Amino acid sequence: MADEFPFEISPMFEGERIRKDNMHVELAGPKSIGFELVRATDMKDVEDGKFTLIGPDLSEMAEGSRYPVAMIYKIAGELVETDLESIVERRNHEFQNYIQGFMHLNQRDDVWLRVSKDAIKKGLTSFEPVAKAIMMLFKNELPFIEKVEAVYITDQAEIEKEIDNARAVYKARDERTKGLHDEDVDTFYGCTLCASFAPTNVCVITPDRISLCGAINWFDGRAAAKVDPEGPQFAIEKGELLDASSGEYSGVNDLAKRLSSGEYDRIKLHSFFEYPHTSCGCFEVVGFYIPEVDGIGWVDRDFAGTAPNGLQFSTMAGQTGGGKQVVGFLGIGVNYFRSPKFISGDGGWDRVVWMPNMLKQKILDSIPEDVKDKIATDENINDIESLKNFLKEKEHPVIKRWVVEEEETIEEEEESQPSEAQYYQPMQYVPQQMPAGFMPSMAMMGGSGSGGVKIILKNAKVTVDKIIVKKIE
Amino acid sequence: MTRVIAVTGKGGTGKTAITTLLIRHLTKGNKVVLAVDADPDTNLPETLGCEVHRTIGDVKEFMHDERDNLPPDVNKESILQSKLYEVLEEMPGYDLLVMGRPEGAGCYCYVNNLLRGIMNKLVGNYDVLIIDAEAGLEHFSRKIFKQVDDLIVVTDGSRRGLGTAERIRELVGELETNVGHIYVIANKVTDSTRETITKTAAQLGLELIGMVPMDEMIVQKDLAGQPLMELSDDSPAVREVEKISRKLNL
Repeated sequence: MADEFPFEISPMFEGERIRKDNMHVELAGPKSIGFELVRATDMKDVEDGKFTLIGPDLSEMAEGSRYPVAMIYKIAGELVETDLESIVERRNHEFQNYIQGFMHLNQRDDVWLRVSKDAIKKGLTSFEPVAKAIMMLFKNELPFIEKVEAVYITDQAEIEKEIDNARAVYKARDERTKGLHDEDVDTFYGCTLCASFAPTNVCVITPDRISLCGAINWFDGRAAAKVDPEGPQFAIEKGELLDASSGEYSGVNDLAKRLSSGEYDRIKLHSFFEYPHTSCGCFEVVGFYIPEVDGIGWVDRDFAGTAPNGLQFSTMAGQTGGGKQVVGFLGIGVNYFRSPKFISGDGGWDRVVWMPNMLKQKILDSIPEDVKDKIATDENINDIESLKNFLKEKEHPVIKRWVVEEEETIEEEEESQPSEAQYYQPMQYVPQQMPAGFMPSMAMMGGSGSGGVKIILKNAKVTVDKIIVKKIE
Repeated sequence: MTRVIAVTGKGGTGKTAITTLLIRHLTKGNKVVLAVDADPDTNLPETLGCEVHRTIGDVKEFMHDERDNLPPDVNKESILQSKLYEVLEEMPGYDLLVMGRPEGAGCYCYVNNLLRGIMNKLVGNYDVLIIDAEAGLEHFSRKIFKQVDDLIVVTDGSRRGLGTAERIRELVGELETNVGHIYVIANKVTDSTRETITKTAAQLGLELIGMVPMDEMIVQKDLAGQPLMELSDDSPAVREVEKISRKLNL
């Protein structure tokens, strides 16, 4: 089949680099402009196999010259829809690299192509066979394409006219991409890049949850798993949805068992307190529970100061990292703040009380309007007491929990049950936190009027390994 | 198959000069070479006479800083590949890549993983890959280069210099990189040191593949800040490196 083309086509030519010494012409690239675009089009508007060139052809390009290039493919078919455009477009990169003597780099309006001197010598004089070969491969490899037509442009003015349209298409596409959520896909991705230093780490990448290192999103996982299914990023069946608000899936729980060697058997993707995601050590931001206000603070790697809990990022990172599931702390990638499911199992943004200002500014657009001004930053709040006052003054949604908690405490006290000990557990490593953490309930004990004892600990340093509360027989 | 050569040694031993002369030899023989400056402290671009504007370090930093701004579904590998090709300086007969600055804070696992794959493909395009590496062999421990056919340790004649060669040999044993042969080149050798070097190398069990003499022509080029690629064919160092290259079958 390939005999009709003046070049060989094979995956073995992928990765072929055309050096300047052996380059006949450079198209688009960092020193010029260009783009590639696939558009889903009506059947009646596509003339199958047609190729149009606007501007000079290869034969008119002098050795060592540089031209802009645009490659537009119109595709049609019963199953062809707008959502498939980017998938088809990406294959242009792959297929053009299959052509011997043809180098294609990058995507969209960053494409960069070179045609080798050898290819010209072997008789490549026109873009037509290139476009025909790509159209053939499109139809062979992507059977949903019934008709395809190509338009290549090498005329600078014409490309300048078209490039804004292309950019508008990319932008609209990105918007749609951002609208992809956990419930829209069947597959999540796991990553084991950190397994060497965090052996029990279970990194799950979903449309609504970027990897903790912030580097790998769901699409990156998909791309990597497709190339090398046995590689560090691999597909996992998400399985059955067990709990929507905290994001618990049977497939993720299975992965947790497998990757942590049985250490963990449940992971809730969007939970902070219950079976949270494990934290490797690469995370960009760490969240920390502040029991005094029943809220969550976040501190990022770039913040050198001290959080209201008296700790720095490095200290909390040390405590949280290593691939453990640590209730009270959670490592995340910055982009997770932009997720609509951001700790949805535990109140989402309504639970966020503090973060460094630099971090807050970075993600400001993603913070819901109603809490935007109610989240304190290092600019004015650096200790628990002023944080409490700030939240009260701003009527932060978290203060509703204070009332609830106080009521709960009374009930609990009447039933002589321990308070939510598991939530305080991580704090026992942070002695100065402990008495403060129990303050609200202690105040209630005093105020309940039952003739109890009021104990106030000031400046105390207490380390307790275990507290056992038993009913006296 | 691409022949992979790494040149290493303590600072000041002249390993960059030796690397340059090896590249000079290879390009004269019409071999297509990828030169990699993997020592943040060296000046391979200067000795080659090639101006480098950006480095792999800059590219990694770009990928790190822009991670949240890149369109979510574009392939990051193809972006990184393109950026890498942008910092690849293209010279007649060879391309030069500079590793550049060390990583900043944050996690580079993913970028490095992509980089490994891209480098692997890139290297296949050349007859020879030659790496000017710092003595700590950091980029090898990061497995950016998986396979080294010949590791050349450049040393001055001193006992201490040869001791470094011995340590590098031990370090290589701990690396996951596959290293074929380890050779030693003694540099800046004079008539009075020649015999001692031969003896010491033999005692340490190091394979001494050549002794490059102290070369007044190199000294002059260095002083004038001129590239060593332009050294004349009758420079004593050039002649010795030619001899070594033949031994290495380059």
